[in-house]
Formats: sequence, structure tokens, C-alpha cells
Amino acid sequence: MQGFLIHFQKKAINKSIYNYNLTMKFLNYFLIIGVVFSFTLGLFSCSDDDPAPIPVVSTIFSDLDADYAPFEPITGPPTGPPKRIGETNEFTFFSFATGEIVANTDSATSNWDIGFRRSEIIFNSGANGPGNTTALMLEDIFDEVLEAPADGYASDTDNENVISSSPQNTGAPANYWWFNSGSGSSTVVAPIAGRVIVVKTSQNRYAKMEILSYYKGAPAAPDNMADEDRHYTFRYVYQPNDTRKFE
Amino acid sequence: MPIFAAMFSRFSAFSIVFLVLSTLGQVLAQAEFAEDSLRTRELDEVIITATRNERTMGALPMPVSLISNVKIKTMGSLRLNDVLTEQTGLVVVPQVNGQGNGIQLQGLNPEYTLILIDGEPVVGRNTGTLELSRLAVGNIKQIEIVKGPSSSLYGSEALAGVINIITERPSGSKYNFKSRYGSNNTLDLGGDVSYTHKNLGVYVFGNRYSTDGYDLSPENPGNTVSPFDNYTFSSKVTYKLGERTDLSIAGRFFHEDQRFNFEVLQGSSRIQTSGTGNTQDWNVNPVLTHRFNSRLKVIGRFYTTKYKNNTDLNFEDKSAYYNDELSQSFLRPEVNGEYYINDKNILTVGGGYISESVQTTRYDDGAERFQYTSYGFFQHEWMPFDKWSVILGGRYDRSNIYGSQFSPKLSSHFDLNDKIVLKASVGKGFKAPDFRQVYLNFTNPAAGGYSVLGSAVAGARLKELQANGELITSLDPSQIGDLEAEESFAINVGANVEIFPGLKGDINVFHNQIDNLIETQIVATTIFNQNIYSYRNILRAYTQGLETNLNYPILKDVNLSVGYQLLFAKDRDVKQAVENGEVFYRDPNSLVTRRLSSGEYFGLYNRSRHSGNIKLFYSNRQKGWEASARVIYRGKFGIGDISGNIQGETIPPSDRNSNGILDNYDDFVAGYALLNLSVAKSITSGFRFQLGIDNVFDYTEPVFIPNLPGRIMYAGVSYSFSKKGNQ
Repeated sequence: MQGFLIHFQKKAINKSIYNYNLTMKFLNYFLIIGVVFSFTLGLFSCSDDDPAPIPVVSTIFSDLDADYAPFEPITGPPTGPPKRIGETNEFTFFSFATGEIVANTDSATSNWDIGFRRSEIIFNSGANGPGNTTALMLEDIFDEVLEAPADGYASDTDNENVISSSPQNTGAPANYWWFNSGSGSSTVVAPIAGRVIVVKTSQNRYAKMEILSYYKGAPAAPDNMADEDRHYTFRYVYQPNDTRKFE
Repeated sequence: MPIFAAMFSRFSAFSIVFLVLSTLGQVLAQAEFAEDSLRTRELDEVIITATRNERTMGALPMPVSLISNVKIKTMGSLRLNDVLTEQTGLVVVPQVNGQGNGIQLQGLNPEYTLILIDGEPVVGRNTGTLELSRLAVGNIKQIEIVKGPSSSLYGSEALAGVINIITERPSGSKYNFKSRYGSNNTLDLGGDVSYTHKNLGVYVFGNRYSTDGYDLSPENPGNTVSPFDNYTFSSKVTYKLGERTDLSIAGRFFHEDQRFNFEVLQGSSRIQTSGTGNTQDWNVNPVLTHRFNSRLKVIGRFYTTKYKNNTDLNFEDKSAYYNDELSQSFLRPEVNGEYYINDKNILTVGGGYISESVQTTRYDDGAERFQYTSYGFFQHEWMPFDKWSVILGGRYDRSNIYGSQFSPKLSSHFDLNDKIVLKASVGKGFKAPDFRQVYLNFTNPAAGGYSVLGSAVAGARLKELQANGELITSLDPSQIGDLEAEESFAINVGANVEIFPGLKGDINVFHNQIDNLIETQIVATTIFNQNIYSYRNILRAYTQGLETNLNYPILKDVNLSVGYQLLFAKDRDVKQAVENGEVFYRDPNSLVTRRLSSGEYFGLYNRSRHSGNIKLFYSNRQKGWEASARVIYRGKFGIGDISGNIQGETIPPSDRNSNGILDNYDDFVAGYALLNLSVAKSITSGFRFQLGIDNVFDYTEPVFIPNLPGRIMYAGVSYSFSKKGNQ
């Protein structure tokens, strides 16, 4: 309990380093919420002496639509990059606890953990949400991540998301989730094999996930002309109990 | 011509096959075993490239090979790529944009092999690759290939090796006219004249080559290779100024016009595009040779060359699709001397100065950019015993772009007995950063506005963009420093063995350690989410393997040869990461991710682990018959991210399991074998008739191997006349 509190404070301070605009008032607000929240959580879990653990299951969520819209056909010489007129520019939110998509109207709540829009992935905290969902990325095999790391979780900031939306490039930091496996100017978004995202939700529960495909139906050899992109298929395990273990 | 074209039916293909086979069959029927005369003939072969001096091939301590004009004629080749693609250890590969022909030597990319004509570099490397089809073979006396770094004599670019084209010299009075017509409406016309009178010698060569190109995927608009025609003129004038002084002036002029007509893929629509491409190069090379005495020879030369390329492509509404101009000039005075100290020691010393410039629409302000290099080299050939020789050499280059570079090389040969010769060499090679990597300032409006900045341009440009608040993320501009030269360190160890009388073999084991490889890297991202790339020395790699050739005169006039190369080419950082267990692959069907083991990392793209050839050459001078049957094999290889497309089709990379490297589970381009046949008959009146088929089984791979046309059938007639007694 104490460890958690210290960790939470550290997070808040870390965050202020990234964002000088945070006022002390805002910081305090966060601290108070954190303290109150963690106490209730602590009371809740301490009061139940003999909890019947809820089973942990590995689930594949297929074809989460992250603002897909078809390209506008071009007639005549091009005047710029191809456009997609039907796109909404909105995120699709997901909750690990329910295993379901959360309505976009709930964006200002902590009902969602993670949001997807094109290749951009956000978490519900920091610069991108009112919640307290933080995350980190490991280079490992999904099934071999048996325990969530104790710390290292971060929130998106105004400058940088926890998971970068750009393609990986030589020498880039390791928080990239995809690289361009297409040739030349044709971009094929390939989720990098062996990247596991570990999420600590607003409810202080852990989930791990691996993105498997960015194309509808998770085709073995995606074609960026024929296949519909912006469709996430991912595997995840949500630990509903108060433990970092994924077993 | 249409009559000829009609002749080239499928039926005639079989008749040529039949003709070649029956010729070879006849020969086999009159079986007669080879005599020793064949062996002595080969020992006479002289190579210049390995030491810059004329040395017999057998005495050289490094891996060298020679292709004579006689072989080239029998093969029926027209352009340099036709010849090189049939040699062991050489693979003709497309350029980075997927088109054209470059040479891969010991698994190293085309930009790392120096290509020389009579010892002088050929310039004009678009995207780093020298287009081999620019060089006609009609005026070639022999092609010399030295494998392993040769920067100790030739400086930059001689990192993997050197290919030196030795052209004909005036000899006697003779002339020769040649014509060949074949598939794809390809017409080759040419001739050469040699004239000598007293102290004067003149050699002139001319060639016109025209083709309709070819279309490997007719369902897509445009051609795989668009129609083009080109002219080559070359000449060499020699004059004996005195008893001890020779002057030679060589020159070359080349001009090519290509006509494009294709469709460009933009989003989901195709747009009609057409235009022209022109390439031109010329060179002049006066060489003065003076023998001060029987021991000292000094050669002075002043080489000038210029290359120009113009591409002008427009959409159907006349708006520009792609316009590009590049001109490169290269000027080099050089002096070198060869001094026979005594029977056991020969010293070669030389020095020179290179002024090189490039002007292109892709650089900052279109201004001409210069690179200056001064250099000096030495080479000591030491022969302590008849059986043992050592060559130590080194070269120092100093440039205004990459600083200085010292390239030593040590090689030695030892005659173990009269059947086995051992050879070994170690050396350093380098390649200077090219103009593009230093000065490029290119923004592509068509592909969404990404930019590529040369190393000399990037720092200032990033600072400027940063100050304007146009960047989201950026490397510290001060981190983008000057580029260093790419370097290699290589070991070659081998042997020449006479296994039993007539059967000769050679083997060479090589290892090239390559550092400081220059690669593009994202250095910043703009607020419009566009990437800015620059060049940095970030990659490390190695190539290693072995090459072996066997040669046996199975009959008096029939020679059988077998060549094979085993190659491992890997990125050293990837290899390390795989060994550390940091590289994964995800099966695209089961979507299960696993850790890649060391044995599963295949290596660099576009390298075949196995390649080789089997060749049968027949030649009977008395009867005037020549024939050949050659099988060329290239094993499976992977395809990386190629920035280009072939007839509107993108070239899909091999990676199938989302790790961005080539492993055993990826999609490979399957290995293939080509069969080439030729037969020729000379008659006493001076006429020679030739028929041939390249790629008999019509193997094509439109997207991955666009530089390989399908079956090519041809017929040729030549006439030569030589005035005896005046030589």
C-alpha cells in the first residue's frame, strides 16, 4: 500500500518534469485523488480475507476499427497525398476489464483504458485522459510475460506518447509498435514481433497485450491497396485480481 | 528485318538447340584427348589490374580471373552485364530502385566494386550503381577481375574488388564488321578498324545498339524495359615518340536515348506518363610512357571524363512527374613509376590528384559541388625465392570530404610443389561517401513530402526548421556530423591445384568485415508528420564464403568448367541481437510469436547462399566451328524494402513475420537456372555466322528480377579482314 502511494507520487512528479504547465494545485488534486483512491482500493482488497480469484484468460480481440475510411479515388494528376473523406478523427476506446469497446461519448471518463486512432495508441491518463491508466512496452514473448513489471509505467504527455505512432527506424528508441514492411512509398503497417504492452488500469489492475495485425481479418500478407487498414487485432490477458501475476 | 523476326519462332529455338547439341555430339564422337598444349596456353595469360603492371596470372597472390575476347565472342555477348552475369562469384543485380544492372561481388553491393576501362574509373553512378549495359563489349581485349579490396592501388570504391576492361590496341592493319539481330527487335551493328604504319597506330571502334526493350507483365501498361538506342565510339591512337617513349591517347563517347511510356500509381488510380531519358558520357586519356633505362619505367596520364543523365517524365496533361538532371565530371592527372631494383625486388610508386564534381537538380541550389582528393601509393614485389613471392602495398588518400584514408594490402604466394600454389592476401578497402550522401537536399512532393538531406546540409537545415518551430522531434543537429568513409578489412586465402593432368581447380575462401556502412535514417519529424531522413555511418556487416572453379578439357577441343560460390552475408548488429535473444518472429497464420534462433537468421537481402555455373566450350579453329552451352544458377534470395516499382507494381519485401529481417520463414525469390546456347562457324573468306539462344527455357520473374529478359534468340554475321605481314 505504501509502496503504491510512493510510486504514485513519483509518477506525478515525473510527469511535472515533462510538463511545466502543471500547476501545484493540479498536482495536489492528483495526489489527493490518488491517496483517496488507493485507500479505498486497499480497504476493499484487505477486507476480503478469502477472495475467490477470478480466472485469467487470454483473449483475441479482432478488427477493432480505428477510424477506417476508404481512400478517395484520384482522377487526373495528384495534387497531394491521397485523402480519406469518411474519416471521423475520433479514437476507438477499449476497456480491458469489460473486454469491450467503450462508447466515444465516454471519452471524459475513466471507463476506457486504451484508445486507437489510425496508428496512434493512447492511454487514459496524463495528456490524453482523465483516468489513471499507465503503460509500458516490453521486448518479449507474450506468453513468457508471467508477471507485470513493478514499475516503469508512464502516461502520455503533450510531447510524446508512451507508444509512438511513427514507424520504427534504426536507432529509434524502443517504444515503437510498428514498422513499415511495405516497399518504397507504399506503407504496410506491421506490428513488430515481440513487443508486449503492459497496462496498469485506472482500477490498479494489470493487463498485457500484443498487437497482431493492423488489417481487417488479419491477413497473412497484408496488401495496403486491397486490405482495409486501421483494424487492430490484438491478444490480451486481463488480470482482474489484485496481483501483478498473469497466471 | 521483319523476315528475320519471323524466323525467330519457337521452332527455330529448337533448331538452334539441336544444332548446338549435334555440334557437341559430333565432337564427342571423334573423341581425342587433350594434350599439354592447352596448359601452356593458359599460363601465358597476363593481367595488369592486380599490380598495375603486366604479370602472368599464375604468379599473382590474390584471387584474379580473366575473360578473353575469344570467350566473349563465342558466348555471343553484347553488353558488359551479359558477360559478367556468367562468371563465378559475380551476380548481376538490379539497382536500388529495382531496375538496371549492377554487379555484386563477394556479396557486396554494386557501389563497392570499382569499374575501370584501361585502368581509369567509369563514372556516372545513379543511386550508387554503375549501369553495366552502358558498356559495349565489341572493343574489349579482355576483362580482368580482381576480388578482395584493392584500395591499396585504386583508392575509393575498390572495396570489394576491381573489374578492369582492357580495350583493344592498334595491332596490324585489319578491320571487322559485325551485326546481330535478335528477339525484342534488338539490332547491334558495329565494327572496328586497326591501322599501323611505322610509329603510328590507330584503333577505332563504333557500335550502335537498339532495342524495343521488353515487357514481362503485359497486363500492366508500359514496358519492363523501355525502348532505347545507343551509340558507342572509342578510339586509341598510339605513337612511338622515340626509342623509349610511347604516347597513347584513348577516347570514348557514348550516347543513349530511351523513350518511356507507362502509368504511375497514385493512391488507387493510374496516370498515363511519358517522357525521355538521355545518358551521355565521354572520356579522353592521354598516356605517356617513358623507359629511362631497362630498370625504370615511368607512366604519366591525364584522364578526363564526363557523365550526364537527363530524365524528363510528364503526366498526360504535360505537368511534370519527375525531372532530374545530373552531370558528373572527373579529372585525374597521375604519375607512376615501376623500378626493377633487381631480380628479387620490384618497386612501384605513384601519386595523383582527383578533381570531381557533380551538379544536379536534387542538390540545394543546383550549384556544382566539388570533391578533391590527392593520393600516393607504393607497392613492393619481393621474390625471395622462385617459389615464394610477397607483395606489400599501400595507398594514402586525402580528401576535402572524408579526411584521410590509408589502405594497406599484403599478399603472398607460395608454390608448394608443381601441382599446388597457395595464395593469401589481407587488405583494407574503402569507399568515400558519395555526393548524394553529402549534398542531397531533396523533398518529394509526390510521395507526401518526406525529405532526404545530405550530411553537409542536414545540420543547418534542421536548425532552421527547429527555429521556425516546424519540427516535432529531431536528433540534436550537432549529432549529424560529417560522414566517414565506409571501410572493409578482408582476408582471402586460396589455392590453385592441378588435381591430375588437365584437371585444374582453384579455391578461395574470403571474409570481408565491413564497417561504417552508410544508411539513411530518420533524423526528424515535421509538424506535418513527414519524416526527414539523412545519411549516417551506422551499419556493420560481413560477407564470407568460398569460391571454387574446376576446369577440365574433356576432349581436345572441348572444355568443361564448373564454378560455385557459397556466401554468407549478414548484418553484424542483427546477428548480435539474434544471439542475445532480442529478435522475434510472428507466424503470420497462427499469429504466435517466437524467439528467432541464430541459425534462423538468413542474412542480408538480395544475396544467394549458393550460386554457380556449368559451361561447355567447344572450339575448333581448323574447321572454324565454335559452340557453347552454359548453365547459370542463382540460389534463392530475399527482397528488402525497395523504393521503386516495376510497371506500377510495388516490389513486395520478403518479410512475412514482422521482424524486418530476413529469416528462414520469410518469402524468398526461388532459385533459378538459365541455359544459354551458341554456335558459330567461320569460313575462310572472313565471314563468321553465329546463332544463339540465351535463357532457353524462357525463365522470367517480372517483379523481382526485372533485369532478366525472357528467351533471347539471335543471329549474327561478321566479316573480318586482316592484312598479314604488316603487323
